[in-house]
Amino acid sequence: MTETEFQAMRQAVVDGDADAAEAAARASIAAGIPPLVAIDEGFMPGMKEVGAGFAAGDLFLPDMMLAARAMQRALAVLEPELKAASVERTVAGRVVIGTVAGDIHEIGKNLVGMLLSTSGFEVHDLGVNVAPERFVEAAREHRADIVGLSALLTTTMTGQRAVIAALTEAGMRPPVKVMVGGAPVTGAWAEEIGADGYSEDAMGAVELAKRLVGGGATGAGAEGPAR
Amino acid sequence: MTEPRTTPEAPAAPPAAPPATPRWDRLGPATAARLEEAALEILERTGVEIPVPEALDLLRTAGAAVDGSRVRIPERLVTRALEAAPKEVALHDRAGRPAIALAGNAAFFGPGSDCLNILDHRTGERRRATSADLREGLALADALPNIDFVMSMFLPADVDQTLADRHQAAAMLALTRKPIVLVTYELAGMLDALEMAELVAGGREALAERPQVAVYINVTRGLLCNEDAVRKLLVCAERGVPALWIPVTSGGTTGPITLAGTIAVNTAGILAGVVLSQLAREGAPLVVPGFGGDSLDLRTMVDPYCGPEPKGVAASLAHRWGLPMFSLGGGSDSKAVDGQAAAEASLTMLADALAGGHLIHDSGYLESGLTGSLAQLVVCDEIAGWIRALLRPVDTSDGALALDLVDQLGVDGSFLETDHTLERYRERWYPALFDRRGFEPWRAAGATTLAERAAVRVDELLGRHAPTPLDPDVEKAIRAVVDRAEATAGL
Repeated sequence: MTETEFQAMRQAVVDGDADAAEAAARASIAAGIPPLVAIDEGFMPGMKEVGAGFAAGDLFLPDMMLAARAMQRALAVLEPELKAASVERTVAGRVVIGTVAGDIHEIGKNLVGMLLSTSGFEVHDLGVNVAPERFVEAAREHRADIVGLSALLTTTMTGQRAVIAALTEAGMRPPVKVMVGGAPVTGAWAEEIGADGYSEDAMGAVELAKRLVGGGATGAGAEGPAR
Repeated sequence: MTEPRTTPEAPAAPPAAPPATPRWDRLGPATAARLEEAALEILERTGVEIPVPEALDLLRTAGAAVDGSRVRIPERLVTRALEAAPKEVALHDRAGRPAIALAGNAAFFGPGSDCLNILDHRTGERRRATSADLREGLALADALPNIDFVMSMFLPADVDQTLADRHQAAAMLALTRKPIVLVTYELAGMLDALEMAELVAGGREALAERPQVAVYINVTRGLLCNEDAVRKLLVCAERGVPALWIPVTSGGTTGPITLAGTIAVNTAGILAGVVLSQLAREGAPLVVPGFGGDSLDLRTMVDPYCGPEPKGVAASLAHRWGLPMFSLGGGSDSKAVDGQAAAEASLTMLADALAGGHLIHDSGYLESGLTGSLAQLVVCDEIAGWIRALLRPVDTSDGALALDLVDQLGVDGSFLETDHTLERYRERWYPALFDRRGFEPWRAAGATTLAERAAVRVDELLGRHAPTPLDPDVEKAIRAVVDRAEATAGL
């Protein structure tokens, strides 16, 4: 029976059907499937499928958002069960993300945050026009593995360097990794300011984040697709 | 457009110019009225954010409801402002001669501004643009016969990025005699750029009377006016410098995903700018967007430059108000000077021209505005020439109809050798870049593609065209403005 139930969970997420996801979550509890297993074997594969479809250019951002909503609804049912059983979900990593000071562009940053969340990262989005000190505080508060810095303008991307300096000054580097992104940002820029990596697009940012928390990062130039 | 009428008993007048080619009105009166009504409702109900005390004072005094920095603007203020705003803005060349009049069905073409990258036509490499690219692009735009106005094209990476706008303004004023659209960062950048333009024009009054420049004001989004944008608008209104008030609302992110919803929000922001500019000074020259209503591409997350569905919508509204406009055609989402780039540039330039889009910018843009290409600019110049010929009214004068000649040659005569042909064959459009040769001559000449011929033409034009230099004293004074900005910034 379990395969059928996993299939229903996966399909509910793929279809972006929150009602079906909630029903599947309840059914899994009734069937005695451990909640962690339901998440990892049932719902997450659905998210991965949708993420892959988006990365391939077959699906649209709203498909991702609907899938994430369905996932959230299932988690709302399963998380109390996890708590009751004193089980903690392992996260892929903790990420603090924001658009640097002086810059109010948020769409790219929001997209990266959303894709990271749906890929199993715990994401703390600080919003736009974020001062360097705020990044430092939040990274400390949330025990961040990664700080993600967005900038759309050539005039504001220097703010990424300022945040890295503030993190260094606070003694948080190199354990806290920094990834940078935004239209004017390049691998060369990431290297120049001492970031751990950059990605040209949001899907690449997820891959980069996975590599960074996996500890395999070796210098900015190696990260992200060649240009 | 209706044909000018003459009464039957009127004395024979000199032959009138043929009537203008009718304009494509995308919306029609009923749809335009509904969109305008929606925008007015947004202005009254939701309001706009205008975070500048002087602007709020003007609006409050005029009767708008001001709550903090949120302003709700009643319809009567909009109606009055639309009446007061000039229905024609004329841009001039460097010598102060009228060059392009933004009014009626006019369509003028020019490049865009601030591309981060250049697709180098010599190496094929996509790389960061430099000051040398900026200068070459401007010299080329100055040389191209169908490019009517100039924008910076490139954001040079080899100057301090906070002052790149000063370098762009100085280069534009030095390298072209054509009208210029200035794009600057903060208010201070605009003031420096205007100071440079005044040096060329011969003073502030001369610039206002015969402006070579118009100022592009980028507004954050329809209902959110950033402080610099508002301050720039107030300064331009006060000085009589043409201002382009350009809010950009993106469907699905900063506005509703639907075309009508995004247009309504953006139009509210446009009208707020019209009101503010006319309150600052009645009759202040203002140019509104002839584009808008695009949505972020939700598959690639790229901001597309050539989606079909918004084309002509904002232009219909601007024509409804009779206001000069700044349109967006000639750009492409392609990464190469290829078939997609040529098709997208052609379609968007043609749509904007048919819609009477006045200042149509972004020729030469690739990669959704991130990369500029001089070869693509040359392709756009060719397209612009084609469109100009398309829009030319049909001459039905006696000389053009040549009925006597038709009768004289009868049913089987040859027209090739006649004086009529020899005198008039040049009235037909001939390409400079599109290839019309037969197959063998084309192959013998290297079997080139459009992109290859365009790259060659870039260097031909740059090789033989030297922009007319500025008076050395003026050039020196402009340099001093840039130096002063650098000194102020501590560079």
